[in-house]
Order: sequence, then C-alpha cells, then structure tokens
Amino acid sequence: MRVKDLGTRPAPASLLQVFERMMRGHAPAIPIERRQIPYWQEHGWKRSGNIYEGSYQTPYVAFQGWIEQQRSGYVDFYIYNPSREIRGHSHWTCFQHRGNEWYLVHMARKPKDVSSGIITIERLITEAYQS
Amino acid sequence: MKKLSVVVAGTGQIRDIEIQPGTTAGDVLHQLNLSDYLLSKGPNEPFFAATESIYDKVKDGEKIFASTKAEVGLTVCA
Repeated sequence: MRVKDLGTRPAPASLLQVFERMMRGHAPAIPIERRQIPYWQEHGWKRSGNIYEGSYQTPYVAFQGWIEQQRSGYVDFYIYNPSREIRGHSHWTCFQHRGNEWYLVHMARKPKDVSSGIITIERLITEAYQS
Repeated sequence: MKKLSVVVAGTGQIRDIEIQPGTTAGDVLHQLNLSDYLLSKGPNEPFFAATESIYDKVKDGEKIFASTKAEVGLTVCA
C-alpha cells in the first residue's frame, strides 16, 4: 500500500478564512459617485458674486490670484507678485501692473469660462519654470 | 479600446468615452460637440493637437480635460 491514512487534523485558521471568503463571494460593489464640479472649485477657488479668489497651482509653485467676471462676459485674471521666472517668460509684457504687486494677465484670446483661464495661466507658469 | 473620462473644465461635467487606436483629439472633441475646446491631460501638460492620435498617450480609465481656447498675450503683447 503506497498511501497510508494518518487521520485528519483541523486546518489552520488563516486557510479557513480564505475558504470562507471564497464561499461568501464578493460583496456587491458600491458605486462611488464622481464629483462633477468646475475646475476652479475643485482647485479651491472661492466665489463671491462675480469675484473668485484662490491660487494658480503648478507642481513648482502657486500664486495668489483673483478673477473678476464682468457683466459683458469678459473675465479679468489677476496674479499677485509674479516671480523672477514669470518675469523672464516671453509673455511677461502681457502682465500689466495694477498696483500693490497685483498684475492683470492680458489675454489675447479670452477663455470662455473662468476654469479655462486658470488652466491657461497655470500652464504659462509651468512653462516659465520649465524653461 | 480604452475608456476615458473627459472633464469639461468650465462645468465639471464628466463625459465617459471609449476610444479606438488612431482616435485623434479632434475626433473626441467633435463627437462630444466641444468644437471650441482643447484636450489635455491637465493644466501642466501641453494641449493635444486636433490631428494628434491620443490612444497611445492616455491610459485606460484616465481622466483628461477639455478647456476652451485661451492665450496670454500674443497678438498684442508678444
């Protein structure tokens, strides 16, 4: 006889847990609802009427900013105290000083919404730090 | 096939799409009726050109952004 029955012994607890889990199957998946909020809100900007306050954020640096949405639909973007890197960017002449270290960012092609303008300025800041 | 979530920056609306190899940024924008928009992987990434195939540049399940065209300066300043 090649096989000798040595009797039975209890399986280790860890193995039992694995089997129990397999028998139970997966719990029903819980669908997580995605937040559908504008970029400006997702990035911490606060809105008060037609004024937005927050910061332009990049992996390198963040700058305080505020935005005014005019009745005409135009949106003005301001940035506080732009750094040496931004002042060295080819578009620095598009930053118009408005006093107290606040600068208006002149848009040749105006964005249709506040979020797109923030993204544009953040992209410019990133470029300034990459060059 | 890859699944993507296109976030419309202005509204935060998320549009779920499925793309095949060779799909361009322009195809996506056209299909979503976002003709005056540009696609990018985020504010720190360059925009995809309209004729650029995006299939190999995105991961399955990735979130990408659609924002309206805007430019600092240029015609007046630069």
